[in-house]
Formats: sequence, structure tokens, C-alpha cells
Amino acid sequence: MSLEPAVPRPSFTLTDTRGLPFEFAKETRGLLTFLFFGYTNCPDVCPVHVANVAAVLRRLPFEDQRKARFVFVTTDPGRDSLPVLRRWLDQFDASFIGLRGEDAEVARVMSAIGLPPAVRSVAGPDGRYEVGHPATVIVFTADDSAHVLYPFGTRQIDWAEDIPRLLRVRPRTGD
Amino acid sequence: MQWWCSASGKPWTWDPQYYVGVWLVVAVLAVAFHALSRRARALGESRLVYWGGWSAVGLVWQVLDWPIGPLAAGYLASAHAVQFLSLALVAPPLMLLAVRRPVAASMTNMGGEGAMHRALEFVTHPVVAGVVFNLVAITTHVPAVVDALMPTQAGAFVIDLAWLAGGLVLWWPVIVHAPRRPWFSVPVAMLYLFLATLFHTGIAMVMLIREFPMYGIYELAPPWPVWSPLEDQHLAGGVMELAGAAVIFGIITVMFFRWSGGVSGEAAPPAPPAPPAPPRD
Repeated sequence: MSLEPAVPRPSFTLTDTRGLPFEFAKETRGLLTFLFFGYTNCPDVCPVHVANVAAVLRRLPFEDQRKARFVFVTTDPGRDSLPVLRRWLDQFDASFIGLRGEDAEVARVMSAIGLPPAVRSVAGPDGRYEVGHPATVIVFTADDSAHVLYPFGTRQIDWAEDIPRLLRVRPRTGD
Repeated sequence: MQWWCSASGKPWTWDPQYYVGVWLVVAVLAVAFHALSRRARALGESRLVYWGGWSAVGLVWQVLDWPIGPLAAGYLASAHAVQFLSLALVAPPLMLLAVRRPVAASMTNMGGEGAMHRALEFVTHPVVAGVVFNLVAITTHVPAVVDALMPTQAGAFVIDLAWLAGGLVLWWPVIVHAPRRPWFSVPVAMLYLFLATLFHTGIAMVMLIREFPMYGIYELAPPWPVWSPLEDQHLAGGVMELAGAAVIFGIITVMFFRWSGGVSGEAAPPAPPAPPAPPRD
């Protein structure tokens, strides 16, 4: 899904799974960056989307893998503690970055990118609840812009075709 | 409530689900098999073959119903492969073996007359049967077809029933021997089985060597905790390739040794009772 106009790489700081501040714009500048908002108790969309990107990134040449980052921002900070987030991401790829912030902070980031905020469902009798969130992966290329969104349903074969093209985007001149 | 297993997109649960359509189909199959197999016993069919046929009916039930049915419909390509093998390659020969005597007798009694006889004669001709089986096997493994049909109950029903029907058609010429085709000797039947299942082996190879999941319904299904969609696809290909080859070559081997041992005639059912002679004026 094309983004017109392209969305500039946002500046925000959240806490990574080591408990350290992670400055998104600074840490990922010039890199192919997959940004996804979801939660670890998600029963369907999140694990499938993340697993599909991970499966394709693993097949890239090492040089290309070094130019890519996957950043997962939890929309459920109440249940997704930093260790929980780390354990969940490690199932897919130990290099994936997990970020956590307060609901309001995360909502501000999502709004800056043009995404609707996450919505928590009413908890059931067992205390369990679901979190509605955009099921899209936003991809920032080396020019520090996102030109395209990948909705749920994107297949590994689609990622395998697109990622090499996304890696070929050149950084903006004059930076 | 679902009447047939289809891809739901919901996370897998071990809570049993009930599929009325599956029970109905299995009930119809069981009633028909009961009627024919009783006649087969009366015509001297062995107890082993009789119970083998009932095991096949039970196998059909098991692979269509929970849990294999829904797993195959929307979660695991490997369960789908088990279903295919069971419905197309394992259950049909066992069921046909148990009912071949009364079926052959009925065909003889038709005396080559009637639309039913002509249709059966046409569809069970080895060339036609081989083509029908391969058309079913290939069409129902095309990713676009699978992804379009499996999310709907009617679509999943069509695929499952097509496999069972395709399997019955494939095995008929080898097991039922009716109508009689003198040229379809044991060596020709062995060659027929080998050739008719070549494409099925090809499908399994494609599943084994593909670098990415072929079927969207399994790739995008709520995750299965044990293995990834690609590993599942490779497992499915392996099951189809190895278990399918084991079934086909196992049967070909048995046919060969029975034939080479000079007892090939035992593979054919005893001659059905002759139709009553027309009254003489």
C-alpha cells in the first residue's frame, strides 16, 4: 500500500528490552526499518506478520541483514514487560528490537505516523482482553521515509520480492 | 455452527468441535459399505478384508472430523497431506477390496446395459481413471484453488469429497476388475498405478523444494506453536512423497510377488455369479 506523500522517519524515544532509552530516528537512520505496533498476547496478526518478515530477513545475505532493523512497539505495556517482550521477539529473531512506553507515548508516536491509536477491549471475567491495533508494518527506507505500508496478509513471497528493492533506495543527498 | 471443517482464521483450540456434515457423509458411507460388505461376506469374502474395509470407513471419519479435519482445513498443510493420503490412497483400496465381489456381481448383472453401467465402464477405464485422479490431485493442490476453496465450508467439502471419489476411481480398475478388461493384466495394472501416481509425487516434490510457503491459508493462519508454515509445508511434502510412495510401491510389490509366484489369479475376485439365463421359448 503506497504512502503519498511519504512519511518521514519519526523521532521518538521509548525503552528497549535492555531497559535503555532507544532513540528511534538516531538508532535507525539510513537503515531499512520495519516498524510494527502490536502486542505479545495477540493471537493471530502479530505473530504471523512478525514471523513472515523474520523468515525473509533470515534469507538475505549477511550484508543486507546488517542494513535492516525490525522494531516492535508494544501497544499493551500493561502485560508486555521488557522481559516478556524480549522472550516473545526471540522466538522470531534475537536481533529484533522491542520497545515499550506508556500508552500516551505510544499513541503520540502512532499519531505522528498517521496511524490510529490502539484500543483495548473490555476485559472478560478471566481478566483477559485484546488490543485493537493497526495490522500494518511501516517500512522506512534509507532515505528516512516510509513510502509503503504492508497490511496483514502480506506473504513471505511478497516480502522476498520487495525487500531487495527497498534496500536499493538510496539515502537522500545532502544529508 | 459449522457443518464442515473450513479455515476459520481463529486461533487453534483443543476444545472439540462438531461437524454435522462430516457425520452425515460418514453415516451414508457406513450404511452403503455395510450393505455391500455383508453381501461380500455372504459371497465368501474373508473376515480380514471385511474388517480392513471397516477400518477404512473409520479412517475416513477420523481424517474428516475433529481434530484432523479442522487442522487440515485451516492450520497445517501436513494435516492436509495426511488427509489426502488417507482419503485418496489408503481408504479407497481397503473399502473396494471388501466390497469388490458384490460390486463386480452387480456390474455383471447389469449385463452391459443401462446408463449407470456405461458411466461406470467409462470412468473406471484405466486411462480415464488415471486422468480423473490426476486432474483431482493437481487441481486440488493448486495454491489459488486451495486458498479460494478452503475458507468456505462448501469449498472444503468439495475438496475432501473429490479426493475420496478420485481415490475410488483410481483404485477401481486394479481391485474390482469389473467390467472385465483382459488386457489389464497384473503387470499392466502395476504400470498403471506407477504412472497414475507420478504427478502426485511431483506435487509433493514442489512442496518439498519451495523456499516459501505455497498456500496463503496456512502461511497466514494463526500460528502453530511447534513448527513454522514452511517447515509444515516441507513436512506435508515429505508425508505425501514418502508415505504415498510407501503405499503405492508396497501394493505394487505385493502385486508383483503374487503375480510372479504364479498366484496372480488370487488378486482377482472370483467370477461373479452368472446372470440368470433368459427363459427359452
